Amino acid sequence: MRNFEDDPTLSDLLTPDQLQRLSNGLSALCRAPVVISENRAGDAVPVEFNLETVGWLSGGASAVERGAAAELVSFLMLFVAKYRLAANIHHDTTEASYAELQRQNEALRASEAKYRELSDQLQQKVDEQVAVIRQTQQELYESARLRSVGHLAAGVAHEINNPVGFISSNLRVARDYVQNLEPLLPETAENWELLEDFHDLLNESIDGTDRIASIVADLKTFSSIDQADNALCDLNSLLRSACHLVQTEHDHRLNITENLAELPRIPGHPSRLSQTLFNLLDNAARAVGEDGRILVRTLADNTGIQVIIQDNGCGIPETIRSQVFDAFFTTRPVGSGTGLGLTVARDTVRAHGGQLTLDSQEGAGTRVVLSLPVQQGS
Amino acid sequence: MPDFSPEDNKLALKVVFYGPALSGKTTNLMQLHSLLNPERKGELMVLETRDDRTLFFDMLPIGLRSRSGLDLRLKLYTVPGQVQHDSTRKAVLSRADGVVFVADSQVAQQDNNAIAFGNLEDNLDKVGLDIDALPMVVQFNKRDLPAVVDEAELQARWAGTPWAPLAMASALQGTGVIETFRTLLDRLYTGIDAEFDLAGKHGIDRATFIGRLSASHGVDDA
Ligand SMILES: Nc1nc2c(ncn2[C@@H]2O[C@H](COP(=O)(O)OP(=O)(O)O)[C@@H](O)[C@H]2O)c(=O)[nH]1
Ligand SMILES: [Mg+2]
Repeated sequence: MRNFEDDPTLSDLLTPDQLQRLSNGLSALCRAPVVISENRAGDAVPVEFNLETVGWLSGGASAVERGAAAELVSFLMLFVAKYRLAANIHHDTTEASYAELQRQNEALRASEAKYRELSDQLQQKVDEQVAVIRQTQQELYESARLRSVGHLAAGVAHEINNPVGFISSNLRVARDYVQNLEPLLPETAENWELLEDFHDLLNESIDGTDRIASIVADLKTFSSIDQADNALCDLNSLLRSACHLVQTEHDHRLNITENLAELPRIPGHPSRLSQTLFNLLDNAARAVGEDGRILVRTLADNTGIQVIIQDNGCGIPETIRSQVFDAFFTTRPVGSGTGLGLTVARDTVRAHGGQLTLDSQEGAGTRVVLSLPVQQGS
Repeated sequence: MPDFSPEDNKLALKVVFYGPALSGKTTNLMQLHSLLNPERKGELMVLETRDDRTLFFDMLPIGLRSRSGLDLRLKLYTVPGQVQHDSTRKAVLSRADGVVFVADSQVAQQDNNAIAFGNLEDNLDKVGLDIDALPMVVQFNKRDLPAVVDEAELQARWAGTPWAPLAMASALQGTGVIETFRTLLDRLYTGIDAEFDLAGKHGIDRATFIGRLSASHGVDDA
């Protein structure tokens, strides 16, 4: 593009029409026609503007007429050029300002985008942190609850253990006494029947106390009150206790088949593992309802052990399967659970270096496989 | 930068009168127009508003033709001093070969001088010119007024700069204007001669360059 200050040519300053009109006017003033052109003709005199010869004027009746006409054209050029210069510089500066504006706009947009990205990242970080805090809070709450339930259970178990112990041994002594009394009584049919009944009563009571003792033992195993936080755990015994407790929860109506292989003890956190097994069994129990079956299996090889809990219950619909590990997700009626069962189970298994996988088909059942390494860490 | 077109053997140079608003740039140019009598002098073009403030710029073309046929042109421009015309100042300043900075000598105007000088530095930078390499004269105008900063003080203040000594002028009265212009021509010549061999090829030595471009009415040529 030409600079605003470049010397203008005749055609820059006047259109052909304007030039024609100017020539006509001058021709009328002079005694002979006048022609203005960019090319030099025979008697032409220069039309000067700003030290520049912009054109040539020829014709007229004399050199004086030509001179005067050329001077008049130069004079006119000054004003035309003034306008042209002003217009050019206005155009140039407007364009420069616009370009500058666009540059600024671009820069603004770029920085805006950067800030938006930054704020998005910030939001994402905040969300992540919030999730971590919420999770930690839940776990804290859950483990506190677990501990207090464990303590309560352990306390109750301890308190019951003694009376059950002496009741049980008293009952056995009483049974012996009854046996001793037997030959001393007159042998009537009535006495014989009485003794028989007395025997049965004592035997049933002994059975009852044995059952109480075994529930107390399960409770103690489950709460692991007499175990350290980290101990060598016998998964099978934890699993059996959990099964008994789930049965107790469900009025012994569950059809649980245990198929337990011999397992190596693994280092772990017994009460958390118990809680996990209980949660998984409880889920299965709720899924099967009245007449389903729950199969509990354990397996071991040289890399690790597996606990498989399988039910033929309602299964988990595909649409919600990805959510089942969400901390607050529950399909049960509000109030019947926090929905934390699977999340806590998975976190516990992960904390033990293991894995929890869930395989479910709606209407056909659910299979949960809990794998734990034999050797944790290294 | 000098604009040389070999086809018409024409060399066009550009000098810009820069400075704060109302310091007397247009008055400098008007005085040059009436005082100078160089070989060739065009019309003074004044693009002003109704109240005499420079709107776009003023322009005065002068020139000479050497025996070698070199058509040497010098276009003298002023810029509008008001803050809002910065883009016009930049456009006029671009490709300048020399600058006359017209400062206002009045005590009250010293801040404006400094702001305008800073603006000159910025704009030179933006149009790709180096203030230290560009031929420049700093003129303190309006010496005829009473409340002006003392000359000795001004000279002392500028002594350490490439622009010492300062030029003193009263453009209104016409004093110091031609001297300022001649100092500029002197500083301008060095670079132009180095690039175009004015003395060797065109027979234009320093004295001829200054003398013929700044010949004045009545007074002897330098
Ligand atoms: N007293 C005095 N006034 C001056 C002088 N030079 C310019 N002026 C006045 O200052 C005003 C602005 O001058 P002008 O040349 O338009 O300033 P510009 O904005 O730099 O172009 C005008 O009223 C001039 O008459 C000077 O040397 N002395
Ligand atoms: Mg002005």
